[in-house]
Amino acid sequence: MLPGLTELGIQISQFLTARYIFDILWSTQLGIIVGMLPGLTATMGVALMTTLTYKFATDHAVLILICMYVGAIFGGSRTAILINIPGTPANAATTVDGNPLAKQGRAGEAMGIATTGSFLGSLFGMFMLAVFTPILGNAALKFLSFEYFWLTIFGIIICGTLTAPKDPLKGWISGFFGLFIAMIGMEGMHAYRRFTFGNIDLAGGIELLPAMIGVFGFSEILMVMKQPAINIVSSKVGKALPYPREILKYWGTIIRSGLIGTIIGAIPGVGEDIGAWVSYDFAKKASKHPEEFGKGSVEGLMAAETGNNAAVAGAIIPVLSLAIPGSAPAAVLLGAMLIHGIRPGPLLMIENPTFVYQVVAMVLLATCAMFILGLLLINVFVKILLIPRQRLMPVIFVLCVIGSYALSSRIFDIWVMAVFGLIGYAMKEMDYPVAPAVLGIILGDLLDQNLRRSLILTKGNITPFFSRPISMVLILLIFFTIASRIRYFQKLWAILLQKAKK
Amino acid sequence: MEPQRMDKADFITALFLSIFGLAIVIVSLRMPDFRNLGANPYSAPGIVPAVLGAILSILGMVLLIRSISRKGYYLNFSFSGILFLFKQSSIKRLLIAAVLSLLYVALLGKIHYFILSFSYIFIFILAYEFNLKERILRQKSNFIIAFLEAFLIAGSIALVFQYLFLVRLP
Repeated sequence: MLPGLTELGIQISQFLTARYIFDILWSTQLGIIVGMLPGLTATMGVALMTTLTYKFATDHAVLILICMYVGAIFGGSRTAILINIPGTPANAATTVDGNPLAKQGRAGEAMGIATTGSFLGSLFGMFMLAVFTPILGNAALKFLSFEYFWLTIFGIIICGTLTAPKDPLKGWISGFFGLFIAMIGMEGMHAYRRFTFGNIDLAGGIELLPAMIGVFGFSEILMVMKQPAINIVSSKVGKALPYPREILKYWGTIIRSGLIGTIIGAIPGVGEDIGAWVSYDFAKKASKHPEEFGKGSVEGLMAAETGNNAAVAGAIIPVLSLAIPGSAPAAVLLGAMLIHGIRPGPLLMIENPTFVYQVVAMVLLATCAMFILGLLLINVFVKILLIPRQRLMPVIFVLCVIGSYALSSRIFDIWVMAVFGLIGYAMKEMDYPVAPAVLGIILGDLLDQNLRRSLILTKGNITPFFSRPISMVLILLIFFTIASRIRYFQKLWAILLQKAKK
Repeated sequence: MEPQRMDKADFITALFLSIFGLAIVIVSLRMPDFRNLGANPYSAPGIVPAVLGAILSILGMVLLIRSISRKGYYLNFSFSGILFLFKQSSIKRLLIAAVLSLLYVALLGKIHYFILSFSYIFIFILAYEFNLKERILRQKSNFIIAFLEAFLIAGSIALVFQYLFLVRLP
């Protein structure tokens, strides 16, 4: 443990130069602004920033992206509290108690609680990132092709289930559609061009970043412009710095929400919004005053914000240890790491162990910057909410276009962005979650390589897929995840529970 | 979307998915397996897409059965219904944004980047702020703000990407 702490200390000290501190401050503030503005999501912000930092050095680029990510997830709490509109989906749970507090004239107090909750949640997640990334990475070294195959299937199934709780069938369709999209282009074993129909541009496959910018950027622009304009009345925000005794009163909620947020964040493709809601639900069930929830409960607000920011670091755990993203912004972060030559996965702790500690240091510094900026500059940046969306959205689209183009200087990538924007819009209108599709695009290659490799090793025998212990665990998880959503099994489970009680 | 319209949308999507999945399976099975070159048959490029196509087709059929049970097959398309849809202000706002954005993408590389970006931002802002019922001169502040914003944003993006990030503009 001591060598790890020493290495962490070294990495933190390396970031304490004027240049790095400047980068941390402006990128975190930009993230807060992106998170604040309805219509701009953390994923869009991180994706755009990835293309803008393409030519930066690896540590600078990843630092800026992590600061943007941490800032954006926190930034949405501003609008959630002030105008009852979450800046990002991760802050939807914040509106439930944050806005009632603002209406009671306690907007400043609510902002302070949200900022402190986000800070503590992020610190908790950072601690779990530092501890569990090496552990999970070591465990993943025992994975063979069979386990990776089942892991990708499990990732799609659990992501589809949790992002579409009312209709998981649509979540699964979205996920498998994403896996198919990853099949387009030249495959890795024989260089055969699949589903290109003679098109040279398609031979290179569908690039992840333009597709993500389209799905999370262009589609969001269309959704925002479709809605009627929101009249935002800018209100003065009072004192924001909370008293320490107010925070210590909810230490149980903070730890519980931090743990839940981190675990939810680590589940592939699920994300901060689920982390916030599950933390909120558990806080309500455990609270001595559940009747206050929904009417301006400080505990509820604390739980939501702690949960969503803990999920940020949680989502980075599988990125570093398994090369599987825990959320959509983490997926972009994974893409950025690959672009910059980092190979996340089980071998990261062997090939590049200092990078893990660098990421932990980056999360810590981003969290501290978020806390300071979040408390100091509330009144200043709330005015940004007054920018009409018809003046903001075309600027965002121009950035989406040039961002998609900048990676490979191909007009084709811009068209990929546009087409996936339309597909993403149609999916959202028909209640298909887009996160499983994006996860599918990321995991498709992993699935393809490992399924074929496994079949080659076993000469077509599928028994090893079902006989290895870790594979069996994953299969059972997949089975129970699907069965829990089928009415027949739900009724059967209810009958069995009743019989057990008798 | 309202539940009734969702069931209809699900019916159409499910039909498309079922057929799309089958098409993927057919195209995948037609892919070569390179056995004649000594390759392992289990490394054939079509194996994984065929499995995915089959799963998509099955999921599509489950959705189809569900939408049929909810009477989603009563599509009730009518010309007046489609006209009514396009008269809604939300659809008009959506179409303006979509058409302008797609036009911008289509003209990239054919018109100078700065001129195109400036025009796109300028027209986009005015499309939502210009009031046809008011005199043009009374709305000159809208024109000025749109012009300034379009000029500054298009100019700064072009300069930053071309000279700072060394990206050749489309």
